[in-house]
Amino acid sequence: MSAVKHSQAMHFHARAGEKVRNAVLQRALQKAKPLFVGKRAKGMVSLAEDGLDFQLLRSTAKNIRNRTLADLDVWLDIFEERATATGAEVLWARDGAEVSKLVVDIARRHGVSKAVKSKSMLSEEAQLNEALAAAGVRPVETDLGEYIVQLAGEAPSHIIAPAVHKTINEIEALFAKEHDRPLQTRTSADIPAMAQEARAVLRQHFLSAEMGISGANFLIAETGSAALVTNEGNGRMVTTLPKLHVVITGIEKIVPTLEDFATLMRLLPRSATGQSISNYVSLLTGTKRDGDHDGPEKTIFILVDNGRANLLGSDYQDMLRCIRCGACMNHCPVYFSLGGHAYGWVYPGPMGSVLTPLFTGIENALDLPHASTGCNQCGAVCPVEIPLPTLMHRLREEQNERGLRPWSERLALKAWAWMAGKPLLYRWFARRAARYLNWLADGSGRIRIFGLAPEWTAGRDLPVSSGRTFHELYSARKKT
Amino acid sequence: MRLAFYVTCLVDLMRPSVGFAALRLLEATGAEVVVPEGQTCCGQPAWSAGNRPLAIDLARKAIAELEGFDYVIIPSGSCTDHIRNAYPQLLGDDPVWGDRARRLAERTFELTSFLADVAKSDFVAPEFAGSVTYHDSCKGLRGLGIKRQPRELLLKVRGLSLKEMPDCEECCGFGGAFSVKFGEVSTQIVDRKCDSIALAGADAVVGGDLGCLMNIEGRLRRRGDETTRVLHIAEILAGGDC
Repeated sequence: MSAVKHSQAMHFHARAGEKVRNAVLQRALQKAKPLFVGKRAKGMVSLAEDGLDFQLLRSTAKNIRNRTLADLDVWLDIFEERATATGAEVLWARDGAEVSKLVVDIARRHGVSKAVKSKSMLSEEAQLNEALAAAGVRPVETDLGEYIVQLAGEAPSHIIAPAVHKTINEIEALFAKEHDRPLQTRTSADIPAMAQEARAVLRQHFLSAEMGISGANFLIAETGSAALVTNEGNGRMVTTLPKLHVVITGIEKIVPTLEDFATLMRLLPRSATGQSISNYVSLLTGTKRDGDHDGPEKTIFILVDNGRANLLGSDYQDMLRCIRCGACMNHCPVYFSLGGHAYGWVYPGPMGSVLTPLFTGIENALDLPHASTGCNQCGAVCPVEIPLPTLMHRLREEQNERGLRPWSERLALKAWAWMAGKPLLYRWFARRAARYLNWLADGSGRIRIFGLAPEWTAGRDLPVSSGRTFHELYSARKKT
Repeated sequence: MRLAFYVTCLVDLMRPSVGFAALRLLEATGAEVVVPEGQTCCGQPAWSAGNRPLAIDLARKAIAELEGFDYVIIPSGSCTDHIRNAYPQLLGDDPVWGDRARRLAERTFELTSFLADVAKSDFVAPEFAGSVTYHDSCKGLRGLGIKRQPRELLLKVRGLSLKEMPDCEECCGFGGAFSVKFGEVSTQIVDRKCDSIALAGADAVVGGDLGCLMNIEGRLRRRGDETTRVLHIAEILAGGDC
């Protein structure tokens, strides 16, 4: 499976160490975190000001997603029928390789030499840019963040802020090189000018590309439309200027009606960026009609499975409710210690720790379900109530059921649990352990290097007490 | 009223004084307090590692030991969350153990929520000359909804002033085995917690879970902070030496 080949998720532990020690990255992340959290908090305030209750609204949103998933095949059939009636074409892809093959074929048939893209995480799943380049088609990312990471030859590190890991100096260096100009000293006051610079370059690409490729935030069954939510306006350029528009999205993105879409839209931008509504919300239906000033002459939907259908009816079905707002990673202590690249595949943060093993194989991402403190800051903010820690926990259980945990861990747990089942033995052992820890601390009340938990004492002391257990002291107290 | 006091394996091994402080608080409610003899660990580490069979074994053991009491009180949000929320899920479908798990879950309380909401005892507040900042542990906060109770109790302590830290609801990075498996990541997270604590500028950081407190204390000391005290809330509420 192609997904497995490009996943680096098995190297999470080593990559996490590198990211923690990367001072430049840490600066970028520490700057971004309060912004993300603060924006969503404002979004929640605006929700309340509109007289809407977050808990009530998210349970409604959850129900919409659940109802749709319960009859997913039916809604997909309806979508295909309606979309076809509007003049669009609907294709289906089983996996990422099929997506790439379909898009490359379309590009060849239409003589495409350049494709402009608005943000699509599914095209990352499919490694579409690599496939297009290999076929002689130049893919140009037009979302500013995506444009930056493309220039850097990197993958997005966040699903809605792809270049969040980059500092302004790194971006300036990329722009100077790509735009063939001398390097300048930049501060945050220069951000608008730098955005203008990218805009001018991208405008030429919009006008010269023969094909536009976008994702879709939702598919609306009753109208056969794709809904696109963006802030930069590049989405509109991609979907209206080129004569050919290809929409690539997952089969789970469907909602039955425009009203359902409106309900979900109350939550999506607020959860993502805190906006009551994003700058641009496009409903793309069919092709250019007579009298229309713009719009593609041909619209092709590619609806992708790539592991999604397997989740239907499984312990992990809740994950299909995800509307890709990014709130889970924005509130994740682990994500903001590492950035997205440590996770090794397309999706980072808590949702990635669930999706990556499910889409690329549980055995190929063993660390990810454990890369969580279990704090549930993600579950608390999820606008569709996905119990992310529960799903990560279920994956941990499945690793155990399939014998995928290291033997040392299994043995240690078994020995410990066996002893915990025998109170007298356990008491004896705890007394010995307490004395041993106290001896290691050597009267200082703390252990600075502890061979049994080296990763703990690498960063912090281990505080220890007097060398007596509670139960030992308690029985002594009872006797007196 | 007969209470079972569940010490937790961490308090037993690492800081018995927290257990004796909690015991003193429970005895002060006038209830009969029993420390069930066979208790060891609630099994959360096995559950957290994804080892369901071992977690079930230890859950059954704890249920058998603790089910004969009016209430079970634990000086930890994490262990309480495990008994209240994970036991019914682990044993829910079992025709015999399912009901027993659910009954125990209903009667199991974290220390501060028991004192503030159930016992509502007007205990003689001790003194604490100084300021404290409270860290909300994740399981207590998001698993059990404990937020108001510890603050209510702390404010009864004479001489104590509460200085909230920014992001008091943020995880400290402990996460049980997480801090051992991913020590570097955990250190990064607890560093942010230490920054918040420093911003509060209180004499002591107080919490309801020993795991988080050991993590925070260990990092504060490693960073060179030798003065900020790190205390379990029971130690403050019980006052004096326990």
